[in-house]
Amino acid sequence: MPEMIKADVIIVGGGATGCGIARDLALRGISHCLVEKGDFASGATGACHGLLHSGGRYVVNDPEAAAECIAENMILRKIGQKCVERTGGLFVRLPGDSRNFRDRFLRSCDTVGIETEVLSASRALDLVPTLNPSIEEAIKVPDCSIDPFRLCMLNIVTSQKKGGTVLIHHKVRDIIREKGRCVGIRVQEDATDTVTEIRGKIIINAAGAWGDSVAKLAGNSVPMTLSKGSLVVTNHRLTNMVINRLRPPSDGDIIVPNEAVCLAGTTSIPVLDPDTLEIESREVDIVATEAEKMIPAFGTTRLIRTYAGVRPLLKADGANGRTISRGFRIIDHHDGMYSIMGGKLTTYRLMAEKMSDAVIRHFGMKTKCRTAEIPLEGQDQLSGYPLSKRLKKLENILCECELVSREDVERVVATVGTRHIGDIQHRTRLGMGPCQGGFCTYRALGVIQESGRIGPDESMKMLKEFLQRRFKGIRPALWGDQLREEQLVESIYLGILAMECEE
Amino acid sequence: MNSGFYDIVVIGGGFSGLMAAITLADEGKRVAVVSRGNPVCCLSTGCIDVLSGHEDPIRGIAALPDEHPYHLAGEEATVRALGMFSDIMAGANLPYMGDVHENRTIFTPLGTQKTTCLVPRSMESAHDHGDDYFHVVSFRGIKDFYPSYIMSRHARAGSSVYDAGVSATSAIAERFEDKTFLRKFISWLKGLDIPAGSIAIPAVLGTRSAPLIFDEISREIQRRIFEIPTLPPSMPGQRLFSRLKNTFLARGGSLYWGRDIASVERLGDQIEAVTIASAGRPSRVQGKAFILATGSFVSGGLYATMDGVKETVFGLPTYLPDGRSTWFNDSFFVPGHAIEKSGIRVDSTFRPLHAGWSNLFVCGSILAFSEVMKYGCGHGLAIATGVAAATMCERQV
Repeated sequence: MPEMIKADVIIVGGGATGCGIARDLALRGISHCLVEKGDFASGATGACHGLLHSGGRYVVNDPEAAAECIAENMILRKIGQKCVERTGGLFVRLPGDSRNFRDRFLRSCDTVGIETEVLSASRALDLVPTLNPSIEEAIKVPDCSIDPFRLCMLNIVTSQKKGGTVLIHHKVRDIIREKGRCVGIRVQEDATDTVTEIRGKIIINAAGAWGDSVAKLAGNSVPMTLSKGSLVVTNHRLTNMVINRLRPPSDGDIIVPNEAVCLAGTTSIPVLDPDTLEIESREVDIVATEAEKMIPAFGTTRLIRTYAGVRPLLKADGANGRTISRGFRIIDHHDGMYSIMGGKLTTYRLMAEKMSDAVIRHFGMKTKCRTAEIPLEGQDQLSGYPLSKRLKKLENILCECELVSREDVERVVATVGTRHIGDIQHRTRLGMGPCQGGFCTYRALGVIQESGRIGPDESMKMLKEFLQRRFKGIRPALWGDQLREEQLVESIYLGILAMECEE
Repeated sequence: MNSGFYDIVVIGGGFSGLMAAITLADEGKRVAVVSRGNPVCCLSTGCIDVLSGHEDPIRGIAALPDEHPYHLAGEEATVRALGMFSDIMAGANLPYMGDVHENRTIFTPLGTQKTTCLVPRSMESAHDHGDDYFHVVSFRGIKDFYPSYIMSRHARAGSSVYDAGVSATSAIAERFEDKTFLRKFISWLKGLDIPAGSIAIPAVLGTRSAPLIFDEISREIQRRIFEIPTLPPSMPGQRLFSRLKNTFLARGGSLYWGRDIASVERLGDQIEAVTIASAGRPSRVQGKAFILATGSFVSGGLYATMDGVKETVFGLPTYLPDGRSTWFNDSFFVPGHAIEKSGIRVDSTFRPLHAGWSNLFVCGSILAFSEVMKYGCGHGLAIATGVAAATMCERQV
């Protein structure tokens, strides 16, 4: 690592927005350096539904955001053919749901340009047999499912090909100001505490929920409302289409299929600190109960994990988390720093385009944005985890749930040079299945240890941290078969492996 | 419909149920065991944790909370029951070692020390080796055993890897049943020229003839050898279970294996019979008395819903700590989550409280307040309450 990195633009934040900006700048030939305090997508990007909105969700109350959604949806299908799953979506109307809202929904979709098709209950049940048979009707919309982590990685591929510098697990410690302008940052790597100085002409604050604390390092501020949304993950895929409730946005009204599982959410609860999120049993009850109304099997399916993210919403006086616009804003702090905030995963590319346009204007250039035309690079390598790929070689399987082999883990260890079990999970899906890493994390750490990359003490610490994090994620949804699984895992780690004897 | 008539029907073929069943068969009763399949003791280390928090596990019973089910059996009866267990295992050629008044430690695959009480002979010298050199043998491709974890705690340990041609724990254990393989392994081990100290091997040294294989290696190598119990599938757990099951059969017991209870017949305050589902005709199993030993959540005796806990066979009333938000501690590493207290409350004769059944007895980890993870008492409690509930039941029949 050189003592000092120089780039025209410094991007703070490795969520969809930050990664999208890196790709956009790369395609316009602007040198840049992206820093992220965790792994990619470790904030709101990775903690959302993974829903590529058609815009239907917002069309009645926030038509502007809805229009952005449908336009971006169509672009992402084109440029990310292999990382967008064209599931289609249904808005289902349950007995008692307002017919008036349904009419407004259809009218607004027409106005905004979201294609709809009204389906009778029986036709909807043909498409999604697990739906509640007593639904009144369903409206088909072009929703899709997308893997946010993979999306970030694909954007980064272009950035790195064009010489961009990307530092993950590096936290911004301070922002260097000279003569009233931001001229650089100092970042600290979390495993080694090594500090690196980065100099640039512009700093883009794309830190999402952490945006205000990054802005404050430069004496700036970003007015935001933070809203926590909690989700649950099922142990298998209950629907092949996105299922929305046809009513004004509310708790637990979206179910999204993703890989082998389904995600359901969310809640919306104001929070002050994005680093201390607790999921309450009550929230899980709400999400599970609401999801069960749309897909009854939700009531008997194992919930393998809960997670929560923080929506970094634009501040609006008097509005609550549900009614605040999903639009985005770019703030020029007039000292070399820009903050970009609000928005959605679906509109990340548009946000990156507008932000990069501002950079281009700042530099007095005229290069046009090309991110909407050029397909995302690296999709063949990163095109998900199809079963056929994984079934090719069934030897030395470490993670039985997701069929991840010892070689897969060794490859990530060698190429990413990781010291974090999370990096391996994100890149191989190790531990993402029904047992949630109960068995394979111990194995993966054994393998990393044998590679000599981390010491045994460190791997033991990582195992402990992982188990605690895992427990925190499943604790709010522990009943039924998931409780059985959890008690088995507890008896393995505390009973057979005697881990409570530590310290 | 097939019908079977027994003195006692034990529901649950786990550790506690089999101990109760063997006790009753020894008394000349006609006993049937109905089980869904291999029990959770197959997943265990095979060691008998009696009460891990005290130096003397038997004396430690007095310090347990008043409602703990160990008190229903009592210290003396617990010692007798553990003695009975040791006799059974000696007779089944899987001798257990140790003193019921003294806890000991064994090695885990992480190199930590697990506190337990009675251990199979292959783990007798698996105590803490302090600074003494010992050598860890591993097997090529084995998934759940990484000597580096152990060596991180024991700087003076060394390790070698043997290629058994197979990599699954149970497959390696099966290879050891083959004499030629065993001799090859022994000559490889001799060839290592390990300078001094003990030799640690993951618990794969055979299945049916486990202690003989261990004895032969020890004799040939002239060195202290010990097994380290692995993650499930655990060979020591399976050895323990198969010996218990065979003992029960040898004493004239009947098994209904791999079956679920489909329905229960009642008459007044008596349970008359259970019907068990099967692929062909259902079977009706009638008994004068019933023992419920279906275990806790992992084995399916208890089932938690979003806001309650059910007993899955008879729908017995369960004890449950308050709402779901109080069921778990914040830390994974602090055993003793409130949910572990839930289960069936019984009177001093092991009959369920507030259920109205006069011929039903309950034993094992399904008992309320047993908290086996917190107290480290799973197998000990299974033995003590299994034998004690059987004794109460026998008095009735």
